Amino acid sequence: MIEIVETGPFNTVQDLGRPGYRDIGVSASGAMDPFAVRIGNILVGNEEGAAGIEVQTFPFSLRFDRRTVFAVTGADGDPILDALELLPWCAYTAEAGQVLQLKHPPTLARAYVCIGGGLDVPSVMGSRSTSLRGSFGGNAGRPLVKGDRIALGKSADIAPVPASGLAVIEPAVALRDVFPDLVDGTLPVRALPGGEHALFPDDGDAFWSQTWKISSRSDRTGYRLSGEPIKPTASIEMRSHGIVPGVIQVPPGGEPIVQMSDANTAGGYPKIAGVIECDLWRLGQARIGSRIRFVRSTHAEARAVEQAVARYVEDVRTTSEMVKRALRAMA
Amino acid sequence: MSAIDFSDPATIALLTDALTAAGVSGLEISRPGGQLRIVIETGNETRIDVTTTTQPASVVQPVVLKAPMAGHFCPGRSSRSAAADRLPRSVSAADILGFLRVGPILLPLCAGRAGILTKQLAEPDALVGFGDPLFEIEPQS
Repeated sequence: MIEIVETGPFNTVQDLGRPGYRDIGVSASGAMDPFAVRIGNILVGNEEGAAGIEVQTFPFSLRFDRRTVFAVTGADGDPILDALELLPWCAYTAEAGQVLQLKHPPTLARAYVCIGGGLDVPSVMGSRSTSLRGSFGGNAGRPLVKGDRIALGKSADIAPVPASGLAVIEPAVALRDVFPDLVDGTLPVRALPGGEHALFPDDGDAFWSQTWKISSRSDRTGYRLSGEPIKPTASIEMRSHGIVPGVIQVPPGGEPIVQMSDANTAGGYPKIAGVIECDLWRLGQARIGSRIRFVRSTHAEARAVEQAVARYVEDVRTTSEMVKRALRAMA
Repeated sequence: MSAIDFSDPATIALLTDALTAAGVSGLEISRPGGQLRIVIETGNETRIDVTTTTQPASVVQPVVLKAPMAGHFCPGRSSRSAAADRLPRSVSAADILGFLRVGPILLPLCAGRAGILTKQLAEPDALVGFGDPLFEIEPQS
């Protein structure tokens, strides 16, 4: 069991989401940085898709009521266990009664607390993610509040985490050849031209060439971008059609909307582009007010990024298990 | 370096039995902290002398932090500035002095005791094996 000691609004239980029900109007939900959830779960010995806590408002703290393995991944900044500063992207063992505190991260947006055994909330339509729009899933379908107590699943990991912790070279560093760094403080986000790309003049140049700012009207459903409005050559009436996270729509005002984890299931605005799935976690870590620029990608590049991510995840899984076994044998 | 306590009666008894069983007539071990001599007499009589030398109070034996397994040695904590990694420097028991890197996995190397970190005994990115010395710390009470 864990108890929420301190939390801001909109911190929720999330896993890798609830795909497959968009046809009946159910958003996929799931972590805004699913990469962090996968790696955090592997470090603590869980299945990749176990439920953890997505923290997007700080400070946040929780108390463990029994000896528990945990890791904080995603955002930068050092988590604190009682008074001790820990490493992010590192699994540790907490003792009963210890309090884990997360302060506001220096640059990124969302931290994930992954706990051995996962959060044992009911699975709804195959997922433990909170659907804020539908008010179901996660912890009673709502954000966490102070005093919430959440049960933990049984930890399947037989090899204990070493006393000094077990860390990972975080994805942004390990895969720096695959995920290009910020350019003058602007995050490059790769995208493919969308269904209505041809409606925009000059091959969508106004969209691709400008730097957009993530506006304050952004949340887990979508990011509204601020910049020089872009207009199609002709206004068209479209029927609503299915959309998914990553789709970039252009409403009549001309400032694009990027659909995120709690994406609407349908929409009628023209789609100028779609963010490649493997770059969505970086967008999920981009803060309100930060700047992004879309980089035109290809299906081949998107596939290559996906394969590099899969190799890294598999490497983390096999090597972390090997290191834990080796340390146990030498203890 | 062995951590066996040769003044422990159980250790002496074990060594004596081993020497007797092996037919060895005697053993002498000298260490900075003292001397142990075991002489196996004929007729099953055994003489054991343990001499302990008292160390001057001001001399503190440095503690060597060793590699807990094989990996690439990564000194320092990446998020800290290089200036913070200068030697010698004070460290607390919980301080992370560096990592052992195995593929994408980093094994934190914890000081384990408060003291003065005086030496780094392996080169950055060197492949080290189990038990290889990595840091030397002069403990402080």
